[in-house]
Amino acid sequence: MYEEPYRWVEAVGNRRQYLDEQFTKGAPVVALAYADGILMLTVSRGTPKLYEIYDRIALGGMGHPADLEKLRFSLLEMAHVEGFNRSPSDVTGARLMKYGLAPTIKQAFEEIYKAPFIVKILLAELGLKPERDMFLTINYDGTFEESRRWAALGATSAVQARMGRYLESQPGFSQAPLAQAVEIALCAWAVGSLAQISREASDGESSSMPASAEQPEGAGAVVPDKAVLLAHVRQIVTEKSLEGVLLERNGPGASKYRALRPDELDVLLPPAVNTPSPT
Amino acid sequence: MGMQGDFFQLLKEQGYQFGNPVGGVAGIDVPNGTTILALKYRDGVLVAGDRRATAGNMVMYDRTDKVLEIDRHSVMAIAGVPATAYEMVRVLEHSFKYYRRTQLQELSFEGKLRAVSKLLKENVPAALAGTGAVVPVFAGYDHEQGAAKIYFYDILGAEFEAVEYAVSGSGSPTIRGILHYVNTWGPQPLATLPEEQATIQALRLLTSAAEFDSATGGVNRELNLYPVVKLITAAGVQTVAGDNLKRLYETEVVRGV
Repeated sequence: MYEEPYRWVEAVGNRRQYLDEQFTKGAPVVALAYADGILMLTVSRGTPKLYEIYDRIALGGMGHPADLEKLRFSLLEMAHVEGFNRSPSDVTGARLMKYGLAPTIKQAFEEIYKAPFIVKILLAELGLKPERDMFLTINYDGTFEESRRWAALGATSAVQARMGRYLESQPGFSQAPLAQAVEIALCAWAVGSLAQISREASDGESSSMPASAEQPEGAGAVVPDKAVLLAHVRQIVTEKSLEGVLLERNGPGASKYRALRPDELDVLLPPAVNTPSPT
Repeated sequence: MGMQGDFFQLLKEQGYQFGNPVGGVAGIDVPNGTTILALKYRDGVLVAGDRRATAGNMVMYDRTDKVLEIDRHSVMAIAGVPATAYEMVRVLEHSFKYYRRTQLQELSFEGKLRAVSKLLKENVPAALAGTGAVVPVFAGYDHEQGAAKIYFYDILGAEFEAVEYAVSGSGSPTIRGILHYVNTWGPQPLATLPEEQATIQALRLLTSAAEFDSATGGVNRELNLYPVVKLITAAGVQTVAGDNLKRLYETEVVRGV
């Protein structure tokens, strides 16, 4: 019955609704440029969500672990074959996104007899100079965006936009030292996480609001202050663990990716999150 | 599939060929003269190599780097046909990175050794045809055992662990004898030398090799050309700076005139 164009459109619409629901409980991902490179941060339970793709490229993901793993492998394969056959500097986030991820994800999304990828992916690429740092995000339907200085993944585009507004309101974060960048990233993460929670609650009352109804944001859109945000993080990390990775511009060797060890993160966390060590 | 993290397999699936003999070119001069050495010292392993590339009696190049970092904890020093050797290093470098990133853990030291001998075995036809023989020395830090190790190979891929030192290349017979003498009857065994003393020994050995082997390049002070010396310790691979080599060479290698 999906052969009819109308049915097909309807099926794709259903798919969107189904997929949107899959992300409501996912943890947002924040990536931002700081003084010495790029920081990516999220909260995870069990399976990691941040990975190394190539010498200067890191990946952050939301969604189903098996789907994420499949796409991660295809990216790794593409990046390494390309880096070997051409040169490591020919492996760029933009090419991985445009020719690697986007067509695969879009095709899976539109083939309505098959399962779509339940993923949103963020690629962060460390440029040779800070002004060449690049962030790319892709949605479950294959649409992708490029940005400079920061990028975020959240359950909906409204959540992502809210996280972005928070980051933009923090002046000069791209010159911030690591500890300050961690605090800003944590706050942006909390903005996203809280937005997802409140949206979920309101969804319970007014069932299935169309996506366009997200735009008018009233008093609810006011960003909570830092203490509230950090308190939220503190509450979350009692049951889940923080995950942070860096692309360090001055790191040794060609591979600039480095995962922050738990003891390093403990030192970097703002006191409001860290004081009662969550064990 | 790449799920096992085998990059070489992945390349082969994509039609990549390594180690195929090239027929009908007998009699060409492939560059292959060199001297490389690796020795254990107090803190780890020192690997050094001269910088000359030759083809027959021609000097092709005097700034070759034959001591190549494969990752932060392993180094391969190459003797033999450079084209094959560089390609091997490239394959290994990408294999180790690919393994680490796909499997989310470092390839074990033994796994790295296997990868080296596997490539050498693939290369046997080219080695026997005379156009692709490579005789490398592989050194690295084994974190599981907490020790730096040296391995050397023959052209067919047989692997040997060196207890104290290993040498390869056309200048190696000269310094093999010296190493044996110094290690056995010298003031102290090589394995107890501190970093600077080990570096001095390496400079002296390579200078001796250059004295007797025309295919090994010596130090060229006018051009500020010194051998490549790398140190592998638990902290990783570190290259001895040219200024340091210059200072040590001038004070400890050159006899006062």
